Amino acid sequence: MKSIKKLSWKNILAMLVGLFVMVYPLAGANSYMKHLFILFFIWSVVAASWNLLNGYAGINSLGNIGFMAIGGYASGILAKSLGLSPWISIPIGGIITCVLVTLFLGFPALRLSGIYIALLSLIFADSLPSILTQTREITGGAMGLHEIPGFIPHMEKIHAYYICFVFFLIAMFIIFRTIHSNTGLAFMALRDSENFATTLGVNRFRERLKVFAISSFLTGLAGGFYVHSLGDISPTTLGIEPFLLGIAMFELGGIGTFAGPILGAAVIVFGGEFLRLAGTLRLSLLGLLICLIILFFPGGIMQLISQAETFIRNRIKKRKPVEKVQPT
Amino acid sequence: MTSFLNAIISGLISGSLYAATALGLTIIYGVSRVFNFGHGVVAVMGAYLAWTILSAGGQLNMLLGILVSLVVLYIFGTLVYRFTINPLMKKPAWDISTVLFLLGGGILLENVLLQIFGPRVKSIPLLVEGNLKLGPVAIQLNDLFLIVIVLVGIVALNLFFKYTRLGQAMQSIAQSIPGAKVVGIDIERIFGLTFGLAFAVTGFSGVLLSTKYFLNPHIGWEWMVKGFVIVSFGGLGSTNGAIFAGLILGIVEAMVTLYIGAIWVWPIWFVIFMVVLLIRPQGILGGRL
Repeated sequence: MKSIKKLSWKNILAMLVGLFVMVYPLAGANSYMKHLFILFFIWSVVAASWNLLNGYAGINSLGNIGFMAIGGYASGILAKSLGLSPWISIPIGGIITCVLVTLFLGFPALRLSGIYIALLSLIFADSLPSILTQTREITGGAMGLHEIPGFIPHMEKIHAYYICFVFFLIAMFIIFRTIHSNTGLAFMALRDSENFATTLGVNRFRERLKVFAISSFLTGLAGGFYVHSLGDISPTTLGIEPFLLGIAMFELGGIGTFAGPILGAAVIVFGGEFLRLAGTLRLSLLGLLICLIILFFPGGIMQLISQAETFIRNRIKKRKPVEKVQPT
Repeated sequence: MTSFLNAIISGLISGSLYAATALGLTIIYGVSRVFNFGHGVVAVMGAYLAWTILSAGGQLNMLLGILVSLVVLYIFGTLVYRFTINPLMKKPAWDISTVLFLLGGGILLENVLLQIFGPRVKSIPLLVEGNLKLGPVAIQLNDLFLIVIVLVGIVALNLFFKYTRLGQAMQSIAQSIPGAKVVGIDIERIFGLTFGLAFAVTGFSGVLLSTKYFLNPHIGWEWMVKGFVIVSFGGLGSTNGAIFAGLILGIVEAMVTLYIGAIWVWPIWFVIFMVVLLIRPQGILGGRL
């Protein structure tokens, strides 16, 4: 909490941006910009909960796009085939995701370390498309689900915009509180030094399950909001491009920081439209971007910001830097 | 009965090829503890290099193609280590950053290959022509030849690790990095050589796989994910485990395709993978190298 008071200009900026986002659709945003903002809200929740696993808890999950697809499909099927209201089906989708992920990844991950979790989660997400194409009657197979009902009857883009905005705020609040709670401290301690943390009485079993549950639940919810605001989902959601986009978001923004994934999602979603100009080179550029960030800017945008801040502050005070601000 | 026998044989063949793909992964991981998520594209690169030489025409080009791809990939591997992995390994949280880096780099290379060679499926001709009849089953001589190459390759690797100074150095690093430093082994040099060796082996396995199956820029992912399951099943870092796991999983895959349907192959690989990880995370022949 201390850090917030210290960096107050960032909060002011964040609030200004928030206000702008709140009034923007009323002040005449076109339908395309609203669409981009909706994507941004959903993607930043996905990236932030991915970052919760990879950055904060140090669990190398590569299957988060799979979580999103499970949540989206579950909610879409419930709403479309059973006629449930999206307000009921989205939480159910989130819970289904949470249960499946905890069962298939969370429990095995308790016994596994490092690389095995990455492999398991990648293969988990990789085996989903073949299940989807095999259960065509329910999931629509390779065609996917279409004409999924919106949040309210006769929904327009502006409704979806505000609903997703509220979801984004709530999800970010949950993630923020999690990071700054005892649970957050516990899994960060486990990330930094597992032996030390367990000696201090951190329950490895419980904390790891918790972080898997939170991350998968939020990602599942994001999947639900995704399908109900856009209206369709297909196995291409599980393709290589969304996967890379997700990784690029939290890596670009700054892995292991709270604001990083949001900034990264903003850059990738709004800047990604320029990527379309690159056509078939799009994926190569994304891959190159990820490589360059990891090699040269491991802290991402957040590192740049904090470096610039120390630089300016030292200029103002005209003295040597007392401490180098390290992004955590 | 015939189809059962045929399935067993095709399982053995594909299994030994999968084992060959897994070798490159397990060598790198065993020595340096870096897991190569760009593995698939390295195999595909090897195959494309061989294909390029081959399609240039002329006599004896198959051998030349394989040689060129081995040499080029060896150099590529040492360069990748020298300029990217080595600096990354000196930073904190290197395990996740190398994973993401190699993933990103793999996708970059895959799409560069796509730009160069196009999405059309290429095929490398069989190494040996002809069939072998054994009662009701017919085996292509090429397939037998592939199995022999893989087995010879694994024996050769084992001998290399056991009897050459370089192989022993790699083994000692695999056992203990501080210990290896104490006896005066240049860790970074050996890591570089390991990457070169593993990339060359991987590229060679790519050539073998593409004589049996087909080749396009995206096929590497499938080979890589199968390689993941095999190395975890056989024990990460164990070259002998990889061959057992490859054969077992190859036969399982053939049985699943025969009796349940090809679409269930992936989910079943996932289930096997999970069961292995839950029961015996260190694999059937756990250990390093």
